[in-house]
Amino acid sequence: MHIGQYISGAGHLALIGWMLLGGLFTPEPEPFEMTEVSVISGADFDAMVAAAQPPQQVTEVAQPLDPEVSPQQPDVTSTPDRAIEQPAPLQTQTPPEDAAPVVTEQALPPETRVDDTPPELQEPVGDIAVLVPQIAPQAAPRPVERVAPEPVAQPDPEATPDPVEQQAIAPDTTGETVERETQEATAPPEATSEIVTEATASPAASARPPGRRPAPPVQQAAAPAPQTPNTPNPEPAAQANTQPVNNDDVLAALSAAQQPVAAPSGPPLSAGEKDALRVAVSQCWNIGSLSTESLGTTVVISVSMNQNGTPQNDTIRMISASGGSDDAARRVFDSARRAIILCGSRGFNLPPEKFGQWQSIEMTFDPRKMGMR
Amino acid sequence: MRPLFLSIWLCLSVILGATLTTGAQAQEPLRIIIDEAIIEPLPFAVPNFQPENAQAGQMANDLARVVAADLIGTGLFREIPATSYISSVTNFNAPVQFADWKAINAQALVTGAVSVEGNSLNVKFRLYDVFSGAELGSGLQFSGTVDGWRRMAHKVADAVYTRITGEGPYFDSRVVYVSETGPKDDRKKRLAIMDYDGANVQYLTDSNAIVLAPRFSPSGDRVLYTSYESGFPRIYVLDIGSVQRRVLESAEGTMSFAPRFAPNGQTVVYSLTQGGNTDIYSMDITTGQSLRLTNTPAIETAPSYSPDGTRIVFESDRSGTQQLYVMPVTGGEAQRISFGEGRYGTPVWSPRGDLVAFTKQNKGRFHIGVMRLDGSQERLLTASFLDEGPTWAPNGRVIMFARETQGASGSSTLYSVDISGRNLRPVTTPSGGSDPSWSPLQ
Repeated sequence: MHIGQYISGAGHLALIGWMLLGGLFTPEPEPFEMTEVSVISGADFDAMVAAAQPPQQVTEVAQPLDPEVSPQQPDVTSTPDRAIEQPAPLQTQTPPEDAAPVVTEQALPPETRVDDTPPELQEPVGDIAVLVPQIAPQAAPRPVERVAPEPVAQPDPEATPDPVEQQAIAPDTTGETVERETQEATAPPEATSEIVTEATASPAASARPPGRRPAPPVQQAAAPAPQTPNTPNPEPAAQANTQPVNNDDVLAALSAAQQPVAAPSGPPLSAGEKDALRVAVSQCWNIGSLSTESLGTTVVISVSMNQNGTPQNDTIRMISASGGSDDAARRVFDSARRAIILCGSRGFNLPPEKFGQWQSIEMTFDPRKMGMR
Repeated sequence: MRPLFLSIWLCLSVILGATLTTGAQAQEPLRIIIDEAIIEPLPFAVPNFQPENAQAGQMANDLARVVAADLIGTGLFREIPATSYISSVTNFNAPVQFADWKAINAQALVTGAVSVEGNSLNVKFRLYDVFSGAELGSGLQFSGTVDGWRRMAHKVADAVYTRITGEGPYFDSRVVYVSETGPKDDRKKRLAIMDYDGANVQYLTDSNAIVLAPRFSPSGDRVLYTSYESGFPRIYVLDIGSVQRRVLESAEGTMSFAPRFAPNGQTVVYSLTQGGNTDIYSMDITTGQSLRLTNTPAIETAPSYSPDGTRIVFESDRSGTQQLYVMPVTGGEAQRISFGEGRYGTPVWSPRGDLVAFTKQNKGRFHIGVMRLDGSQERLLTASFLDEGPTWAPNGRVIMFARETQGASGSSTLYSVDISGRNLRPVTTPSGGSDPSWSPLQ
């Protein structure tokens, strides 16, 4: 063991010593070969290159020959153009001078009698005048029983022979008699005298969808609790406490609050949807014929909408006006109403799922920005 | 137990209030603001009026055409051609098929009937708002002579125009102006009067002397003008009905010009040049008593009364350049109202009293413009080689002026323009025209 350790230690020492001192015995690197260069300018380089290249051989270029001149001169004299015969101008008569307009400088036409008083015009005879084609009254349908009150008995099916012979079944006389359950008498099926379409029997107003809000528990608490027999009523101390408060009022108010919303309302209209409506109305609002006073008048108009996006024209109302006289406001309203009717006839582009949000619209028409003043 | 019940009551109240608030919010209308619009002529239809007797056949058509021309001339209306009509009007008293007129986008419909008996003419009309399906105002009827049929048509057009736009009428009015013929170096000028649309021109003076700046009286029966008949400019008053005239007295060696009536029709304001200085005076044309209103070494001229007769706007170069000033009707301190670039002249107060029309010269161009009385909101309506002499229509919505073209052969023509700057169009006259003055409504 010791010998091995000595050998190993000596070997490691030798390795370490070689690693540390081995570089002392490496040979010196060979010296670099140095070459001197000189920097010359581009002109000198060109001159040097040109001197090194031999001159190119120049070939003789044949000179062009002189054109042959013909001794005989060409005849360049031209004959005069032949005069074109033109038709003689037609003799026209000089029109006489325009007669001076006879204008009376002194006398003026007599003043026109103009009667500004409203005439007593014969009013047309209502809206159903002579030009309205008279439409014959719609004939009432003769009552006909479309559905027979008595059902007609089906005819007996024809008897057909069965290819498989079967034995006749004899009634079991030994079995127990099964008592059939007695059935209470029921009303006969209803029959109607005629077919009534759904359209004519539809309700005046469609049922409103239920509101999203869940029924508050208050309503249940307010409902009368079922009385359990043989259970004594609780001490009416609470009833005594309810005396100062009118429960009917509370119930009435709560039930009123639980009424479904007038129209289903989706999320509010986005700014883009509002802007689309605003642009649509603007494109039909023509203020070109408004007076200068009307151009400074702002009106607020309300309108109810149909679910298909068309306005209910008879609901267009002016709510308020500012900035001008009543007359000026009325003309702004007229122009705005025309815009709503004109562009709304095809329906405004409004999201149907948000009908509750735009079922009623208030539009403020402000022409001041477009006015001249 | 009482506090417990109160707590329950409060909770119920909160729930109730919240529920009611939510319900109220659901019924809130959608609110939008429309502050942009289109500016286009209003489409309308004027079917030929119905002749109620055989003599009225041609007259009925002519009347309808003049009514349509009046409305189209405003630039606010556009006539739908008869070829587009779906239904026709064959009876003045028949109900209107609004759906047919709505289908061709006629927003206003004018129907009329005409009857002629001898020299008597009777015209009646109705105006309908097609989209509301109702008559706009009541039917009206005018009666007059056959010779005055154009005035009847103008009356109908005035009523239609006023009912639709809300502006005052102006079709039944006249214009006095200086008729010009011949080249610039030998131009003949004489006074003429015509309908507002250039029809029925009649001459009031001959062309022996230069005449300038005629001005209507508030009642429309007299005209003030300046004439060089005596060699110097002097002011004359002409009665239109009798065509009689008289000169307003002025001192020897003076020159008087640029007259204009006061709203009372009895006082005249004018410029008087004496000793090389031009100032503004007023004169009672009945008594001849005059009053000096300005007294500066500057040239002050072109006075114009306010509609209420309390102030006068005029032009003066007292500041070194030609500008507009406003002073009390009795004279005194004047307040400058124009401060823009260039020179301002010939101010005319609007019949509404809110604007002043003027001629402006700037950078070699002439403009007709309007501004408020404090000098704000100046708007130039025209621009050309030479525009000058504005005059207001009786309703204060339209301005007429004279435009002269460049060159030795240039001529002067009357133009009209809406105060919005739109609808600039020439007024057809038999010859050239300048210095127009619009009459009040007849």
